[in-house]
Amino acid sequence: MEQPDWNSLSPAHLWRDWIAKSEAQWSESISQMMKNQQAGEALNRQLSELQLMHRQFSELAQASLAIANMPSRNDFEALDERMGRLEDGLAQVQASLSQLTRVLSRSPGVRSEAAVKAPPRDRKPPATERKSRG
Amino acid sequence: MNVSGLNTRSVTLSSLPNPVQIALDRMGLPGTDFVGMTGPLGATPKDTIHAQGTLKLHHFRPQSDRLYRVPVLIVTSLVNQPYILDLVPGQSMVEFLLKQGFDVYMIEWGRPRKEHQHLTLEDHVLDRLPTCVEQVLAHSGERELSIIGYCVGGLLSVLWAALASDPKVHSHKPPLKNLVCMATPVNSDGLESLRAWMGPDFDEESLLSQHGNVPADWVQNTLRALRPLGKVAGAMNVLNQAGNEEVIRSHLRMGKWESDNVPFPGGVFRQLVKDFLRENRLMHGNWEMGRQVVDLKHIRVPFLHLLAQDDHITPYASSRDLVLRVGSKDRQELILKGGHVGLVAGRGAQTRMWPALDAWLAPKSV
Repeated sequence: MEQPDWNSLSPAHLWRDWIAKSEAQWSESISQMMKNQQAGEALNRQLSELQLMHRQFSELAQASLAIANMPSRNDFEALDERMGRLEDGLAQVQASLSQLTRVLSRSPGVRSEAAVKAPPRDRKPPATERKSRG
Repeated sequence: MNVSGLNTRSVTLSSLPNPVQIALDRMGLPGTDFVGMTGPLGATPKDTIHAQGTLKLHHFRPQSDRLYRVPVLIVTSLVNQPYILDLVPGQSMVEFLLKQGFDVYMIEWGRPRKEHQHLTLEDHVLDRLPTCVEQVLAHSGERELSIIGYCVGGLLSVLWAALASDPKVHSHKPPLKNLVCMATPVNSDGLESLRAWMGPDFDEESLLSQHGNVPADWVQNTLRALRPLGKVAGAMNVLNQAGNEEVIRSHLRMGKWESDNVPFPGGVFRQLVKDFLRENRLMHGNWEMGRQVVDLKHIRVPFLHLLAQDDHITPYASSRDLVLRVGSKDRQELILKGGHVGLVAGRGAQTRMWPALDAWLAPKSV
């Protein structure tokens, strides 16, 4: 005899199930409340305050970190920017190599992995293929 | 009392069962090994064939012995990582298209840095995208291609297609054979929440002067606020299916992607807020780009718009006008079950969207 899934009948499971199933309605209700001009104004006020706080805190933290001889967020961001430039440079090298390999593979007498022929571009959709075979 | 004999972890587990922890233990994975749990994302073999600043154009290695003649260029969104379309084997739209015999290319816009804060829509639509089109044609040796655009990528594709097809400016038709958009917003009247939040009181200049580009966490919080309890529901579902290894892995993959937003280029954000969101210029027919007015009627190639029924990011009210405004005789809209992300990467995508896309595109790619 098949055992019932007791876990799915546990109160916690049923509660989680209810939350998950009713989430769309809850989210929709909250979204409806936030879709008006007043909510927008309140959010924007909060955003401006947060930005100001963020700026002031960053400046304060940067000064403190500099005294403690530790890197600040700005230093990490500068490092990130530098890494990004390196990644972009590598991608350009990769693209150039790819083009070079392609040109070389077309040269007569070159035998390499790159010289593997590209598949022919003559595929037909299944229905057409069946028709032409029939 | 033998203090050294205490094992805090097992005591905690036995007194307070954590279904996710139990599932992870059962799978033999330590709780912090996220790479082990998700697997490498976006790992379908590819070559970068062109790079311009942060942009990379990838060519995926064919997985079929015969290809359709017309190559496919996927234009991804500006605010998300493109690997949502290539999560892992078996959960990858790119892999599906390759196996069906398409020759697939993809634009990765990359992560803009401070030096890219002035990049505008014109830079993307009139320079970067057309350059990628040329590169795809040169690489494939074909004279035309199909474009698949997702979300903001769809909007960029539509703008380019409309501008490049304007007969008053261009004597030749663009090398576009088919255009597919997925969850692409065109009418900001339908983006009620974003419009309320970024209305006249919203000071985008202050945000941009402080950061240059729109920070990734700001983008992420805005998208999450569109469905405030979405994460809670997701967590509850996972807890209830904690014994299912594949559900856990899939949830972690999606979670990793969702928290991996990229900054929004400042110039593009400014234009999208002013011209698109507040003034709805695309619908009013007065959106100018490079001294040309964007008119969707100029798009005359076969057109397909794939939409999700429960899309909270691109609601139907913001996307339904696209199929009505393009000038194509062959135009179609398909509304499929699911949400914005589920449309392209969920279980529903595998069973509904990808086969529908293949059935529409394959006969038009010979």
